[in-house]
Amino acid sequence: MKTKWIGLAILAVVIVAAAGYAVFSANAQVLELNGYLGGEKIGLLEDAEVQEIFRSRYHLSLDYARAGSLEMITADQTGMNYLFPSNQTALELYEQVQGTPYRSEIVLNTPIVLYTRAQVAEALVGAGIASAADGVYTVDMAALVACIEQGTSWAEIGLPELYGDVAVGTTDPTKSNSGNMFAGLLANTLCGGVADENNVEAILPRLQAIFQRLGYMENSSSDLFDQFLKTGMGAKPLIAGYESQLLEFAVQNPDTWAQIRDDIVLLYPTPTVWSSHVYIALDEAGATAIDALLDEDVQRLAWEKHGFRTGLYDAPGDVGQFGVPGIAEEITQVAPMPDVDTMDRIIAALS
Amino acid sequence: MRKQARLVRGVAALLLLAAALSLLSACSLSDLAAGGQSGADAVLGSGTRVLRILSGSENAELEPILEEYARDAGVRIEMTYQGSLDIMRALGQEDLAYDAVWPASSLWLNVGDTGHRVKHAESISITPVVFGIRKSLAESLGFVGREVSVQDLLDAIRAGSLRFCMTSATQSNSGASAYIGFLYALLGNPDVITEEDLQSETLKTQVRELFSGVDRSSGSSDWLKDMFLAGDYDAMVNYECLIIQANEELTARGEEPLYVVYPYDGLSIADSPLGYVDAGDEAKEELFLDLQAYLLSEETQSAIQRTGRRSSYTGVREENRDVFPEAWGLQPDRVLSPIRMPAADVLFACLNLYQTELRKPSLSVYCLDYSGSMSGEGNEQLVSAMEQILVQENAAANFLQASQDEVNILIPFNGEVIATYSAVGNGQELEDLYRVVRGQEVGGGTDMYAAAAEGLRLLQGYDLTQYTPALILLTDGQSGGSFSEFAQAYAELGQEVPVFSIMFGNADEEQLQELAQYTNARVFDGREDLTAAFRSVKGYN
Repeated sequence: MKTKWIGLAILAVVIVAAAGYAVFSANAQVLELNGYLGGEKIGLLEDAEVQEIFRSRYHLSLDYARAGSLEMITADQTGMNYLFPSNQTALELYEQVQGTPYRSEIVLNTPIVLYTRAQVAEALVGAGIASAADGVYTVDMAALVACIEQGTSWAEIGLPELYGDVAVGTTDPTKSNSGNMFAGLLANTLCGGVADENNVEAILPRLQAIFQRLGYMENSSSDLFDQFLKTGMGAKPLIAGYESQLLEFAVQNPDTWAQIRDDIVLLYPTPTVWSSHVYIALDEAGATAIDALLDEDVQRLAWEKHGFRTGLYDAPGDVGQFGVPGIAEEITQVAPMPDVDTMDRIIAALS
Repeated sequence: MRKQARLVRGVAALLLLAAALSLLSACSLSDLAAGGQSGADAVLGSGTRVLRILSGSENAELEPILEEYARDAGVRIEMTYQGSLDIMRALGQEDLAYDAVWPASSLWLNVGDTGHRVKHAESISITPVVFGIRKSLAESLGFVGREVSVQDLLDAIRAGSLRFCMTSATQSNSGASAYIGFLYALLGNPDVITEEDLQSETLKTQVRELFSGVDRSSGSSDWLKDMFLAGDYDAMVNYECLIIQANEELTARGEEPLYVVYPYDGLSIADSPLGYVDAGDEAKEELFLDLQAYLLSEETQSAIQRTGRRSSYTGVREENRDVFPEAWGLQPDRVLSPIRMPAADVLFACLNLYQTELRKPSLSVYCLDYSGSMSGEGNEQLVSAMEQILVQENAAANFLQASQDEVNILIPFNGEVIATYSAVGNGQELEDLYRVVRGQEVGGGTDMYAAAAEGLRLLQGYDLTQYTPALILLTDGQSGGSFSEFAQAYAELGQEVPVFSIMFGNADEEQLQELAQYTNARVFDGREDLTAAFRSVKGYN
């Protein structure tokens, strides 16, 4: 009797030990990387399917600390294997400050877009600022900026229920990447081409005036987008953001999206700028994640579940799968962002 | 050899597991201990897992909804209510004893979260800041059935036909929002307010004139509603949802409801963001996300709408439209088009200007207990609390500075009134008052009624329409004397002056509540943190 119990107890210990070993040994082979990550990619790195591919195919797991695209370049990088900012300016800055990185690679792209409500989109079309072709809306940036600079009221373009003048809500360009890129886009528009060190000084006062009139600005792109969706047409009639934000929202919240899809309109600025998510490996270990991020299935999930385009120009897959009307198959009207020194001037002027 | 290595690994894994388990239980034990002595204003549910939320007072109206969750999930939710500006300041401090913050507007969260500790912030509901005016008065002012501008409201206030209650612009989001709306209107509706705009003497004169129409102030929006319901006032500036709650009670009593006016050029929106304060505790984070998901679920969002808030992505639902009756002026389908908040530095300049120059000057009578029982630590705490209020550089940290015209009266008491002192303005006289507070010796019995009555008699020497008057009473023991002496002095004064009291030591809460109810005021608990209690009470006038 007694020996039987002892036998059972030994068996139990063996089972627990074996289970413990299984977990332990699986972990032992997984390389855990640490780095700084722009907030808009948290959804992707927290995606269980993506994590599983990282683990099983590449024996990697990516831990992260959230940080702004520019602040991560100068932040304390002790113990970090990678940086994953949301624009190429960050890479240029890295090269200036720290030298050539161990390795770097653009792994995801998404264009800067504008979001609005159906009624506002219609008014913008009526005012000759926006137009629609094959269901895809585009905004003539020069016309939009002219309208803003003239102090045109919403009422004047046919929206008397909106208080105040036409403006684009953005995040604080000195703190957040989407606001920063939109400032670059506005500078390009005001310069009539790509803003550079020779032409930017002349337009800075106009750029300052546009931003000063916005008053208080949000610090984070996701907060601004959340408020755009929830506070209604009156509070945030027109905002700047990433294309990926709406695509990800539609996939992750299908029921809510079904209720509001007729009212939400995505507009492509012409020209727009790409938010290019550059993975910067700081060491050999960090570099191992580049292959994982470029894995066909990770790239597919990045598009299908999180709305990131993986190549430039063409959509990597069917744009219809999101159930979001008006997504462009290809983004052809793109200008480069101003270079890092020009962006420095712009940010200093807006600080 | 290999087998042995495996065994070692297995044992190591087991040990790790055991360590993790004991850590987990240690966590919940310390949570329990912390909760047992928490200074929370409301404790919902009784689970061992605790979520401590620092919240705007308007969310007190959501307690039944939170309680239901807490019960079902076996979680204890501890709600501590503070003004949005206090929440902003708390976020700026290194140690934050809360797991989540829930201010009225994301503005304060973003400005305060300088250390980027707040994660997962999402708007739970939307409500605009509006004017609620007694319906017959709104009709006679011609505000019913048409669009009203801030200027229309100002005209009525200047003409003396509209008096109103609002919260302090430096303590509460609804007051700050309304004040910024007033500034826009008086500046002729510019795109955005600039620091230069604030220098204008004309503007200052106009704003002072406007605030002369303020009947009563308050440090919190929810209490403003309670105070309104307990008193006899014509109008208040508050959240649409709290006007709806007030109207539900007014109609239940058979009284006239308030008519809601949405000033089209001075509207602002409270978006009620609930955010997690990340301190690296994953279990806590999951708990938070679970609560947030519950609050954002279709069913809960509908329940939240029934409290008068506009929630979810699609506006007020068909089944909840009865909560927003047209007869009360409510416009559930209105496009809420708010003013732009100025950038943070300009906003703070506006708030400082309000506190030091523009608000109706306060007339505060401090009746402070110097009885024998206050000796030692009690007296030390009292002195350091008053230091936060009377010494102006301390007061400025909390937007509690005195203004140039305000009056502060000090009545130290024990079994009788020891002496009376007064100070005008925000200069030397006020600093001298602090010296008296520090130098006064303790001893003797306690008669707060005599001190309060003396304070009321002193108020007879002032034109109270020019001030926001209040008595602030601190006591630490059962009071001798009689309530009737106080009541008689109150009747002789013949005007409503709130008697706020701060409970300390072994004070008799019943005695203090009696004074508060009689004068439409409230009792603050100073037993945990006397300085915080003084700060709060100062925020009320």
